Parts: sequence; structure tokens; C-alpha cells
Amino acid sequence: MTQTQTGEALAAEGTPVIELRHVDKHFGSLHVLKDINLKVGKGEVVVVIGPSGSGKSTLCRTINRLETIDSGEVLIEGKPLPQEGKELASTRAEIGMVFQSFNLFAHRSIIDNVTMGPVEVLGVSRDKAREEGMELLRRVGVAEQAEKMPAQLSGGQQQRVAIARSLAMHPKAMLFDEPTSALDPEMINEVLDVMVELARGGMTMVVVTHEMGFARRVSDRVVFMADGAIIEEGKPDEFFEHPTTERAREFLDSIKGH
Amino acid sequence: MSISELLAEYGDMYVQALLGTWWMSLVSFAFAMLLALVITVFRVSPIKPLRVVGDLYVQIFRNIPGVSLLIILVYALPYLKIVMDYRLCVIVTVTLVASAFGSENFMSGINTIGVGQIEAARSLGMGFGKMLRLVVIPQALRSAVLPMTNLAVAVLLTTALGSQVPLSPPELTGLVSYINTRTVGGILPFVISALMYAGTAFVIGVIGNAIDKKVRIVR
Repeated sequence: MTQTQTGEALAAEGTPVIELRHVDKHFGSLHVLKDINLKVGKGEVVVVIGPSGSGKSTLCRTINRLETIDSGEVLIEGKPLPQEGKELASTRAEIGMVFQSFNLFAHRSIIDNVTMGPVEVLGVSRDKAREEGMELLRRVGVAEQAEKMPAQLSGGQQQRVAIARSLAMHPKAMLFDEPTSALDPEMINEVLDVMVELARGGMTMVVVTHEMGFARRVSDRVVFMADGAIIEEGKPDEFFEHPTTERAREFLDSIKGH
Repeated sequence: MSISELLAEYGDMYVQALLGTWWMSLVSFAFAMLLALVITVFRVSPIKPLRVVGDLYVQIFRNIPGVSLLIILVYALPYLKIVMDYRLCVIVTVTLVASAFGSENFMSGINTIGVGQIEAARSLGMGFGKMLRLVVIPQALRSAVLPMTNLAVAVLLTTALGSQVPLSPPELTGLVSYINTRTVGGILPFVISALMYAGTAFVIGVIGNAIDKKVRIVR
């Protein structure tokens, strides 16, 4: 009884959509996540940056348990992530994920990629899913490609389809794991534009990226990671203008001046 | 004995032998595909005992000669009060061996899919069964068409094991011994059977290539 009341009270104040508490993870002897604490509120856009090998992708992947953790807790809307099984599957269905390598289903057409989740997982009717799917494809600008196969599209187009595929599930939050890192330079912006539009539309987002311009313009908060730990976090302007830690200053210096 | 004499005397038996070989091949291959699929699902399942059973199955039936297996079925199983018809023994032997190889073909098909699509399926909320049915199996089937075509030819040739047991009517290889124990046929009866095997294998190859062309996944 008390617990339910507390739960409701928290929800009223805005329970974070995503929360990580004291998360630790090792790959063998390598300590890849060190006591990670992170809260992402509803509608918030959090960008995670840091040098490669800093654990930022791993962090992103623990949120829907594509990576397991050794200790600590991951909470979605205040509820701990369940163990592998039906319950975890339905939690995953509520969180969109966009990968570096797009990962479209190679044997199905573009529109099938977008409707498969709603039809097979959510039980939406084929007609309705198709109608919504086409609308989403229009929104990300690839509606003309609906009947093609993934391999017939450019990387940028494929990634926009992947975003549409996630959106078709009406997710509570979206995770982006380096969504533009595998793209040719001229295709990066077409994907970022879609993400900017999403952010402006109030989507809760965690974005692991090297796109500092995007971080600056769109994010509500920048999280800087190095060596498996969150070193610094703050508003993008503050972070980019006045980083407080030496490690963050070094990182920012190393990526500018080209 | 000339070819015309040979065909005049044994032509009908050749037709029956060819049909018998086709029938045994078809039945064995169909059951082998089904079994291979089941074994492969075992081998990729999250439940360890199933994986062990699947791997063991493949190790056993891929690695013992078909003839030994046939001898076991024909001569050893009756001690366990299991007596099967000779033709059934041949079909079961070929099915067991072919399903082990078939499972290997499916496994390499699965390996081409890559972990990315599997993670995408999981992050859409698909459980193991749905992921297998919607993402993994359809792609494994498509990329296994050519190796399975080879396997179909191997199945056709392996039914020659039927020559080791008394089948009536005999299949293509058995018929050759049948003829040569009755007349001095020389090499000719062999050549006729060989041409029938080769012709069938050629047709299988053409069908396999056509299916592959149709379902191949562009990557």
C-alpha cells in the first residue's frame, strides 16, 4: 500500500523514464562501467560523448539489457529491468534502439521492416500497421523506397528506416548507439535532421555520438565518459565552453582544431 | 549382351528402380530437412541441455558411415525388438545422416545473419521464438539453398545403400548387381544406372539454382 502510494507520488513528480543506479560491469578483467548513475527525465535529450573505449556504447546498451550488468540497477519508469524472458521483451518493446550498423532485416522489404514489430509484437492489424508505417516513412523521407529491400538503399536511408522502425513501436524513449558513425559524411545530416525533429517533438532520447554540433544544438544535457566512468555532465553550453575537468578539456581539445 | 537386349529384358525393372530411387530420395530428403530444422533450433536455443543434444546428434550421425548405420538398423535393432522393413531402414539411415549435414548447412546460414539483426529483433521486443521464426529461420533457409541442393544430390547417391539389403524391387544400384548375377552384363548395366543418377542430379541442380536465384538475399 505504502509502496503504491510512493510510486504514484513519484510518477506525479516525474519519475525518470530511464535511471541507472550504481551500475558496474566488467568484460573479463576490464572494468567497462564504473558506478554509473544517470537519470533521464521525460522529454529529455541526453548526449553521451567520450573517447572510444570509454564505455559509452556499453552504457547505452545496458539500458535495454542488450548488455547485462554485474551490479547496480537499471530502472525504466521507476521499475527495475526484469530478467531475460517475456517481461523483459515487453519492456524492450517500449524502448526504441537505433544501431550504428542499422541492422535492418535483410530479407524483408522496407515497409515490412517497419510493420514487423507492431504486427508481430504489439498485435496491430496489418492494414493499420502499414498505414502508420507509410506515414513514418514519409516523415523520415523514404516513403518512395517502401517496397525495396534494405540493401538497395543508401546508408543514410537505411538508418532513417531504422529510426522509423523504432518509432512504429511508439516507444517511451529512444536509444541511439552512434547512429551516424557508419555513414558517409554527406549522409550524416539527413539522419541528424530526423533526430533533431524527434527531439523537438519531445521524444526522450539517449544519444551516443561523436557529432558535437548535434550535442550542442539539440541536447538538454551532455554526459562525458572516460575509462568507464561518467567524468562530467552538464548543460551543453556550459560543458563545451567551460569544461570543469582536465579529462574533458583534453578530449574537447583533441577533437577541435581541424 | 547388347544395350537393346539388356533394355528389352530389364527395361521395366530399370523404370521401377529409378522410381524407387526417386521415392526414397524424396522421402529421405523431406524428413532430413524437417529434422535438420528441429536439430538446428535445438542447437541455437538458450537451453543448454537442448544445445548439447543437438550438437551430439550432429556429431554422431555426421561422423559414422551410412553403411554402418544401416547394418545397425537392420541387424542390431531387432535385438531390441525393433524390426523395420528393409526399405524403411534405408530411408531412416539416409535421413539421419542427411539431417546432420543439413543442420550444419542451416548453422552456417544462421552465422551469416550476424548479431546485429538479432539484437534489432530483441530490441523490438521479440522473444526467442519470434526472433527465430521471423528473422533467423527465413534467412537461414534462403542462404542454405545451394548447400541443400548439394545435400539433395548426396541423398540421391546415398540411397545406393539400398543395394546392401534385399529390396524388392531393387533400387538403381541394387538392380545392377541383380542383373549381373543373372547375365553377363559387363559394364553396361552400371553405365545405364549411372546415367540415371547423373540425369536426376542434373535436374536437382537446375531446380536448386532456380530457387536460389529467386530467394537469394541481396546484402
